[in-house]
Amino acid sequence: MSLARSELQLHRDPTRRMVGFLIGAMVYLAALAVTGGLMVGTTINRWSDDLRGNLTVQLPGVTAAGAAEATGRIDTVVSTLLETQGVAGARALPRRELLSLLERWLGRGNIPDDLPIPALIDVTLEPGVRIDLDDLQRRLAREVPGARISDNGIVLDRLVRLAHSVQAAALAIVLLVGLAAVAIITFVTRAGLAMHHETIELLHLIGARNNYIARQFVRHVVGVALVGGILGLLAAAGTILGLARVAADIDVFRWPTISLADPQLVALLTLPLVAAVIAMVTARLTVAGALRRLP
Amino acid sequence: MRFCATRGAPEFVLVVRFEHVGLRYENGPNVLDDVSFTLEPGSFHFLTGPSGAGKTSLLKLMYLAQRPTKGRIVMFDRDVTAAKRRDLPGLRRRIGVVFQDFRLLNHLTALENVALPLRIAGAKRRQIEAHVSELLAWVGLSGQLEAKPPTLSDGEKQRVAIARAVIGRPRLLLADEPTGNIDLDQGLRVLRLFEELNKIGTTVVIATHDRSLVSTIRLPELRLAEGRLTVHQPARAQPTEGSTRAVPSRGGL
Ligand SMILES: Nc1ncnc2c1ncn2[C@@H]1O[C@H](COP(=O)(O)OP(=O)(O)OP(=O)(O)O)[C@@H](O)[C@H]1O
Ligand SMILES: [Mg+2]
Repeated sequence: MSLARSELQLHRDPTRRMVGFLIGAMVYLAALAVTGGLMVGTTINRWSDDLRGNLTVQLPGVTAAGAAEATGRIDTVVSTLLETQGVAGARALPRRELLSLLERWLGRGNIPDDLPIPALIDVTLEPGVRIDLDDLQRRLAREVPGARISDNGIVLDRLVRLAHSVQAAALAIVLLVGLAAVAIITFVTRAGLAMHHETIELLHLIGARNNYIARQFVRHVVGVALVGGILGLLAAAGTILGLARVAADIDVFRWPTISLADPQLVALLTLPLVAAVIAMVTARLTVAGALRRLP
Repeated sequence: MRFCATRGAPEFVLVVRFEHVGLRYENGPNVLDDVSFTLEPGSFHFLTGPSGAGKTSLLKLMYLAQRPTKGRIVMFDRDVTAAKRRDLPGLRRRIGVVFQDFRLLNHLTALENVALPLRIAGAKRRQIEAHVSELLAWVGLSGQLEAKPPTLSDGEKQRVAIARAVIGRPRLLLADEPTGNIDLDQGLRVLRLFEELNKIGTTVVIATHDRSLVSTIRLPELRLAEGRLTVHQPARAQPTEGSTRAVPSRGGL
């Protein structure tokens, strides 16, 4: 002799697997989006540090003969740089230093006097200040045609902006996935209410409180969301580890190494719980709305 | 089957009071039209009337499955036409209903069906099982505890439905054609169960158009016809124990 655990027996509903799968897929997507966003964030920080540290301004090359005349232009650029807010120091690399750098490659005494050698100005930036490099570039070029900030700096600056957009997109994905989860739970709860309306009406008529009925739905969808969410998270962990292995071989761009031990990635563990909370609240509200229509 | 009587201060003065109640469905004609009556605690009535007279509709108003189109209904001294939704479940639990179409849940066993009111009230598993199997044995279904309604005969289903209605010791028992599918012997047995409940204070209303059942015991009759309700005392009324009075507040022919 035994009594059923619950009257509605929602665990027998055919929608269970489908919903579990969908929630799993959503947690998977959200986990990848969160990971991507966090990785990009780490990268931005590193790049920004580089940007903040220093940059190089390059003037058009001059031959040995024109070197004397070029010093005036170099001084103009240096003083413009020093007037710029956020610049801590600017130092022109002496031509001799440049030559000795080149000699390492070309051999001592092998540098012809008529080889144009660019002038390089090493700029140190004040920590914590971000400079609009595009604007600085324009001002320098006005003073001394041909002066340009080394490509690296500008590209990095643009990359940082791109990275911020990527982070915004990742956030949008997470929000969208959350909304889709709400929609799915609403849908499946409505389907359950319709499928079991006779049982629900009877329970209502013999004096069941709304909470008694809602609890059965909530317990069901929370269970499904947790199982689906955990499976989705495991799949995401597999994908992230796979990507990490590939990324480990790439050393350029100071790409961050991906590690699941990263304290930031621990946030991923909350995703199945978030899915369960979404399921709980959505199911409760949906059932309450439906029961309000009964006498 | 034994029920323990509980004596002491009465929980309520009136079980049911209808004041000028009218009911119509959607755009249909008036099913009930200015119905007024009162049921006192411990009373026992038949509710009679031709098919379609509105017996089931009247019971629905009493078990709070339907709101009246007009008028006021007081149950257990509470005005249910003005009551808050969250107070209704508590009132419904004091009412046992034998539905005309049984309303058993086909995916649950007889035992589980009968156990529903106790589960809803939060009773312990052990108590439920002992209590329910005892009652099912009493209605002659000890061999079908684990049977599901689709495998039961109509008469057996009706007995399961009756068991579910009385398991929670309701203060008001509403039975809609409770003997419609069983033979007279079984019908009398069911009546005796209702009488026993009535003796310990349960107010009983049995809707039926089975005249042979009505003639077996002398009970006052609530008669429905053309949307009106009249109260008829039994032909040779004998003052039996308990008050079995229904007072027509107004109306009637
Ligand atoms: N849900 C409903 N919607 C519309 N009309 C209804 C509804 N329920 C009942 N009616 C109508 O109300 C009238 C009374 O029905 P009711 O079921 O109360 O009669 P009854 O006396 O119980 O009949 P019976 O003896 O056959 O069970 C009938 O004309 C019926 O068609
Ligand atoms: Mg009827």
